[in-house]
Amino acid sequence: MLLQLKNVSKWVQSGGQKIFLLKDINFWVNEGDFISIMGPSGSGKSTLLNVIGMLDNFNEGEYSFLEDSVHTLKEKHRANLYKQYIGFVFQSYHLIDELTVKENLEMPLLYKKFGASERKSLVGDMLDRFNIVGKKDLFPSQLSGGQQQLVGIARALIASPKLILADEPTGNLNSKQGEEIMETFTQLNKEGVTIIQVTHSEKNMKYGSRVINLLDGSVV
Amino acid sequence: MFKHYLKIAYRNLLKNKMLSLVNLFGLTLGLASIMTLVFVVHVYYNADGFIEEEENVYYLKTFTTSGHDYNQTTYPLLEKIKNSCPDVVAGTHFFDWDLPLLSYQDIELQERRTSYVDADFFEVFTLPLKYGDDRTALKNKYDVVLTDKVSKKFFGEINPVGKKLVLNDTLSVKVAGVLEPISSYASLRLGVLLSTQLVEDYQNFKEHTGWSNSFTYNMIRLNANADVQKFENQVLDLVRQNYAEPSHIKAIKVVPYTEVRVDNIPIAGIIIKGAIATIIFVLLIVLVNLINLNTSVMYGRTRQLAVKKILGDHKKSIVFQFCLENGLLVLISLVVASFLFAWVLLPEINEIFGGNFGEIAIEIPNDYPVILYFLGLGIFITLIVGALPTLRFISLPIAIALKGKINGVRKNLFFRNVFIVVQFSLAILFICTAIILNYQISFMKNAPLGYEQENISIARIDLEYTDKESAESKFSEILDKLKSNPFVQDFSTTQIVPSAYYRSYTNFMDPESGKEIRIRYGRTDANYFKTLGIPLLSGRHFKENQSDTDIGTIIINAKAMKALGWTDLENKRLVNKGETSDGFEVVGVTKDFHYQGMQNNIEPLAHFYKGKQQLKNNNYLMLKIVKGKEQQVLKQLENDFAQIPSKRTFEYEMLSHKTNAQYDLLRGILKTVNFVAFFTILISCLGMFGLISLIAKKRVKEIGVRKVLGASITRILLLLSKEFIALVIIAGCIAIPVAWWLMNNWLQTFAYRIDIRWWMMVLGGLLALLIVGITVGIQSFKSAMVNPIKSLRVE
Ligand SMILES: Nc1ncnc2c1ncn2[C@@H]1O[C@H](COP(=O)(O)OP(=O)(O)O)[C@@H](O)[C@H]1O
Ligand SMILES: [Mg+2]
Repeated sequence: MLLQLKNVSKWVQSGGQKIFLLKDINFWVNEGDFISIMGPSGSGKSTLLNVIGMLDNFNEGEYSFLEDSVHTLKEKHRANLYKQYIGFVFQSYHLIDELTVKENLEMPLLYKKFGASERKSLVGDMLDRFNIVGKKDLFPSQLSGGQQQLVGIARALIASPKLILADEPTGNLNSKQGEEIMETFTQLNKEGVTIIQVTHSEKNMKYGSRVINLLDGSVV
Repeated sequence: MFKHYLKIAYRNLLKNKMLSLVNLFGLTLGLASIMTLVFVVHVYYNADGFIEEEENVYYLKTFTTSGHDYNQTTYPLLEKIKNSCPDVVAGTHFFDWDLPLLSYQDIELQERRTSYVDADFFEVFTLPLKYGDDRTALKNKYDVVLTDKVSKKFFGEINPVGKKLVLNDTLSVKVAGVLEPISSYASLRLGVLLSTQLVEDYQNFKEHTGWSNSFTYNMIRLNANADVQKFENQVLDLVRQNYAEPSHIKAIKVVPYTEVRVDNIPIAGIIIKGAIATIIFVLLIVLVNLINLNTSVMYGRTRQLAVKKILGDHKKSIVFQFCLENGLLVLISLVVASFLFAWVLLPEINEIFGGNFGEIAIEIPNDYPVILYFLGLGIFITLIVGALPTLRFISLPIAIALKGKINGVRKNLFFRNVFIVVQFSLAILFICTAIILNYQISFMKNAPLGYEQENISIARIDLEYTDKESAESKFSEILDKLKSNPFVQDFSTTQIVPSAYYRSYTNFMDPESGKEIRIRYGRTDANYFKTLGIPLLSGRHFKENQSDTDIGTIIINAKAMKALGWTDLENKRLVNKGETSDGFEVVGVTKDFHYQGMQNNIEPLAHFYKGKQQLKNNNYLMLKIVKGKEQQVLKQLENDFAQIPSKRTFEYEMLSHKTNAQYDLLRGILKTVNFVAFFTILISCLGMFGLISLIAKKRVKEIGVRKVLGASITRILLLLSKEFIALVIIAGCIAIPVAWWLMNNWLQTFAYRIDIRWWMMVLGGLLALLIVGITVGIQSFKSAMVNPIKSLRVE
């Protein structure tokens, strides 16, 4: 088992009232899973994904990731945990505009203090794998949305995370580009990477092996 | 890794080209101004650094019962003080007496700055000597010490110690030392130093150096633990016991020598204080501005920072990255500003203040601390403007940062607004100052002076002629030619001209009434008042005749007449105080005229008749020339003078040019104030530009929605800018009374001054408002014009 959430709730206080963003969430993820989170807008999908990715706190419940109890960890340890094991893919890519494709890919490695030659070979591998060698010196603004998202995925993958979290990765893409991304995820999943994606579309949902439906912060 | 940061920093600067340029421009201008001012202040405070333990050095200041004060005393006082006060370590006289002609082989020189000092001189002023020994120099009656500049004129580069100079073609003096050059901002202006033992032998000196004539400065070094108050009392006792007329002296103050420069040129104190205030103020403006702009940049990068954190970046490196970016900017600015400082602003400062305070230049061995200050300043600015704006962002939870939204902005709004109000208060203050100063200067420039300025040309005739006698005879030929020249209406040979009266004062007494008067005097010929068109109120002009019978007569001005309480000139004479001679016959009274700048009052004046027109002892030839013929006449004169061998060349200028130059320093200050006012407004507006773009960025969606719902462009303009306009109005309400108070106080130092009018203040405020309105307007307009569909698609 990769991670498990037990009775996780998150709320905000508003006018003396608790407003639940997540309510009593229970689920687990095994290594190698491909999970789709579905639900109407505002149902808490992003919030849940952020909690799983340790980018956001929760108020109640337990969250264990591999051997660690995330809810008891200090922020710094938590940050180390997600930096080591989790790769993020965003709906609006969030590439660094000032860096070229190559440099964007290299960045997580720099932070993790990889040596220069190692960085070079890893970046080269990724460029090959996603067929974007020809684009390596372009800036994000010079790429199409689909290409940008490919770079986003490559960047998430480059430090070989165990888990990929993708929040509506195809939300800004046309259906053909979306399909390509989904094919990429399927391929990655086959290679053993665990994936949790948030999606609106029934079609994309089907790429996953398991579906979690959210409504008003609760799993239904 | 560092390379990586550097690369991003570089690209970020390029990406925000406009903003980077704006930042660079403002910062460079700010830094260059700060550098210049820091340098001036540094030089000023170090100029007297050669005086060891300056805190123990004092000078004497006399206060009379009639309300005057001056820094001179009688000559014998110092000797008495030295003999009776044990706290005195050393003391020296310091005064000019004559301008002796010095010669070495065939080189002759009359140095303007020839001072007489005592044997103690080098114990009071620990001046560094380039050649010679400061323990023995000037101990001997026939010693002379030269500045490096004067020494070079006589001896070139060689060590002249021991060489003999001839004084006034009679005495021989021995060079005992050569001074190292000292800063031109130093309190001492030196040229040739001679011993008081020498001057004590002069007949005319003996006659004037009793207990009634105050003409010498006294500098005294006291024990470190001396009781200055006690010493002052002792000095006053000596004055009471010895002075010819002790009842005229109210007090003699023992003043720390550190105050002497401000005492001599009061405006120097104002300028230096103003410079320090301006440094702080410019620095503040630069900092506030960059912080505000950087905060705006950080807002734009919130998301990016969150992504970097997710990818494994550290908080520290985010701060580092931003500091590096700013550091780069600061570094470029520093370099450009250094050039601006060294090649533009410093020469400009010398141009403005050089005439009054001397010119200054950068000398690395002396001034290297300044370079360290500048580097320190650069690091300081980088840290502040790089780190401060990031702090809020790095503590932001990632999930929120990813949305690119920032809470808690309201809290900081208060400080931001205070900053803006402060910035604009200062800007308006400077604008008002500039406006008022402008009016004061043009008022002084255009006020009737009481004499004719147009058509009057002034030529210098003290040209150090090699053969005085033949020069004199050639000169009288020139004068004859001038007399028959139809274009020359009048001319005068004189020691003084308006704007260049000597600071010579004497105490006269009316033998009839016993009334005393301190009077400023000068010497002129018979044609002086006629040439200048100064009317006589009563009496007559001087008369030039073969035996010069008018020598010993004087013409006074109306002010002196009034001070003496006279109603007519019948049998009126003035006698030097303390003398029993017949004194001088007063033959005429002129209308008052402004012989000096309008900063100063008209004092009681006495003009002595100087004898027939000649070169000897005259400084100027003043000509009234028919309009349009000036060049022709003066060129002819120049040719004529070229025939007389002399060391200096013939020069001339218009009188209006000379009187105008009386306000050069003020104009310099005005120029500086204008520059700072311009700079403040510019920087403030640049900052405002950035701020509005930040606000607009935060409110794109709101603006978009409002537009979709039908808000007009004007409404949105108003929405974005009304806050700033309000702040500027508040700033005006603060700045205007302060400006009024400050300027009113300053104007009091002018004898003739304008009244501050309310519209000058309002004009200052409106000007600031207008400039802000335009800036804010442009930027708001840009934001308001964005197509709402575009801005709404952002999410
Ligand atoms: N920090 C927060 N404070 C208050 N409300 C929040 C916060 N974050 C999210 N929400 C609210 O929680 C709900 C779920 O948001 P989100 O998880 O983004 O939904 P989605 O399923 O569309 O991704 C929304 O109604 C949102 O307004
Ligand atoms: Mg969402």
